[in-house]
Amino acid sequence: MRAFGTRVLVHLFLFVVLVFNLMPFFWMISTSLKTDAEVHMIPPSWWPRTPTLEEGYGKVLMWTNFPRYFFNSTVVSLSAALISTLVGALAGYGFSRFYFRGRTFLIGVLLASQMLPGVLLVGPYFKMLVRIGLYDSHLGLILAFSTLTLPFSAWLLKGFIDTVPHELDEAALLDGCTRLQAFVRVVFPLITPGMVATIIFAFLLAWGDLLWALCLTTTDAMATVTLGLSRLVTQFRVIWPQLMAGAVIAAFPPMILYLLLQNYLVKGLTGGAVKE
Amino acid sequence: MKSKSLSGYWFILPCFILLLGVLGVPMVMALLNSFAPIWTKGLSGFTFAYYRKLFVDPVFLNSLIRTVYFVGTTVALHLVLGLGVALALNSAVRARRFFRVIAILPWTVPDVIAGLVWACMYDPLSGILNELLHRLRLIASPVEWLANPTLVMPSVILADVWRGYPFVMLVLLAGLQTIPREQYEAARVDGASAIQEFLYVTLPNLKPMIAIATILDMIWQTRRFGLIWVMTEGGPARATEILSVLAYRQYFKFFNFEYASAISVVLALFLLLIGIPYIRMVSQRV
Repeated sequence: MRAFGTRVLVHLFLFVVLVFNLMPFFWMISTSLKTDAEVHMIPPSWWPRTPTLEEGYGKVLMWTNFPRYFFNSTVVSLSAALISTLVGALAGYGFSRFYFRGRTFLIGVLLASQMLPGVLLVGPYFKMLVRIGLYDSHLGLILAFSTLTLPFSAWLLKGFIDTVPHELDEAALLDGCTRLQAFVRVVFPLITPGMVATIIFAFLLAWGDLLWALCLTTTDAMATVTLGLSRLVTQFRVIWPQLMAGAVIAAFPPMILYLLLQNYLVKGLTGGAVKE
Repeated sequence: MKSKSLSGYWFILPCFILLLGVLGVPMVMALLNSFAPIWTKGLSGFTFAYYRKLFVDPVFLNSLIRTVYFVGTTVALHLVLGLGVALALNSAVRARRFFRVIAILPWTVPDVIAGLVWACMYDPLSGILNELLHRLRLIASPVEWLANPTLVMPSVILADVWRGYPFVMLVLLAGLQTIPREQYEAARVDGASAIQEFLYVTLPNLKPMIAIATILDMIWQTRRFGLIWVMTEGGPARATEILSVLAYRQYFKFFNFEYASAISVVLALFLLLIGIPYIRMVSQRV
C-alpha cells in the first residue's frame, strides 16, 4: 500500500514537472501562430482562434533580416565546429599517445582555459579584430567559437583516442606510415562518434551565444540569430508573433542535435567522472 | 607504451596557437588593461587606482552581492529540482524514456531564446502568467514581472531554473544508474527506511557527480549573460545587473576599458577559484 502511494506521488510530481517544462514551448508555439491583433486581446487567448502562419512566420521571414541571421549563424557555427573538432582531435592524439615535457602542465592550462569568463576576453579580442580588420566579419567569430570550444573538443576526443589500442597505430608505423598518416588512416575512422559529438557541441555553443556576436559584429547583415532576435525585442514595440516564430525556428536545430547527443555531453562535460 | 619523441608537440601545436591567440593574448591584455590605459598610453600610466575604486564603488559591490545571490539561488534550485526529477525518473516509472526527453527539453533551448520566451510569458497584458494567476484569482491587476525592481530578479531566476536544471538532472541520473543494486538490497536486509537508504546509500555514491555538476553549473551561472541581457539588459535600476552584465556595459557602452577590465579580472579569479577542484578531479584521470 505504501509502495503504491509513493508511486502515485512520483507520477504526480513528474506530471507537474512535465507541465512546467512544456508550458513555455506551448506558449511560444501558440503565440507564433497568432495575429498581432489577437496577441493584444484582453484576456489573452490560450490558443489562436484561427492559427495562421502568415503573421508570425511569414512576416519574420519576408519582412525582417531573419533569413540572413539564420545563414550567418549556420556558416559561423558550422565552420567553428569543424575547426574545433579537427584541431581538437590532433591535440587529443598528442596528449593520448605522447609523453613530453610539460604535458601535465599543458593539460592543466587546457582545462583552466574553460573557466575564463567571456567578458574578460571579448574586449581585448574586439580591439585586436579591429586592428587586423576582422571586426564585423564571419572569420572573427569563427576563430572565437573554434577556440572557446577547443578545450572541450580536445578533452573529449582524447578520451575517445585513449580507447583505441596503441597496437593499431604502431602496426601502421611498422608498415611505413608516418605518425600523421597513422592518425588519419587508423585512429580517425575509429573515433567518428566522438568527433560527431564535438562537432555538435561546438555548433550548439556557437549557435546559442549572444555576448561574442554582440561585441564582434555591428551591421545587421552580420548578426546571428540570437543577436537578431535580441534586437527585435529591444525595439520600441515588440511584435510577439514574429519574435516567437523566429524563436521557434532558431530553437529547432539545437533541440534536435541535443537530443541526439545527450549521453556524449554528460560524458564529455564530467570528464568521464560519470561512467556508463 | 606512449612514445617520448618530440612529435607530440606537433600534434598539440595548432590547438595551443589558437588558445594563445584567442584566449591567452586577450587575457594578458585585459590584465594589463586593468592597471593601465594600454590602448592609448601603453604601460606608462600604471596604477592600482581601478582596483582601489572597485572596493569603494557601490555599483560594483552591489553587483557582486547580486551575482552571489543569482548564482547561489539558481545553482541551489537546479540541484534540488535536478535531484528530485532524477530520483523520480530512476524509480520504477512508466514511460521513462518519454519523461526523460521532456525533462531535458528546456536545456536544448539556447539561453537567449529561453529568455525571450519567458519575457513573452511575463508580458503584463498579453502574457500567459498574469492570465493564469488572474483566472485563479491570485492577482487583481496585471503584475509587471520584469519592470518591478523587487520582482525582476526572482522572475529572471525562474526562467533560468527552467532552462538550467535539466543538465544537473542528466548528470545525476547518469550517476544514480551506476549505483550497484546490491547496496540497496543490503540496506533493505538491514531494515533501512527509504530515508536512510537515501542518506546512506544514494547520497554517498552520488557525491562525486553532485560535486562536478555543482562546479560546472556555478561556472556557467557566473558567466550567464544572454538570458539576462534579452530579458532586462540588467535593469530596471540595475536590479539584475550581475558582474558579467556590468563588465559588458562598462566596456562596450561607457568605454571605461580599464575599469571594465578590473571587474572582469575579479570575475575571472572568482571562476578559477571555483574551477580548481574541477580541474583536479578531471585531470586525475589522465
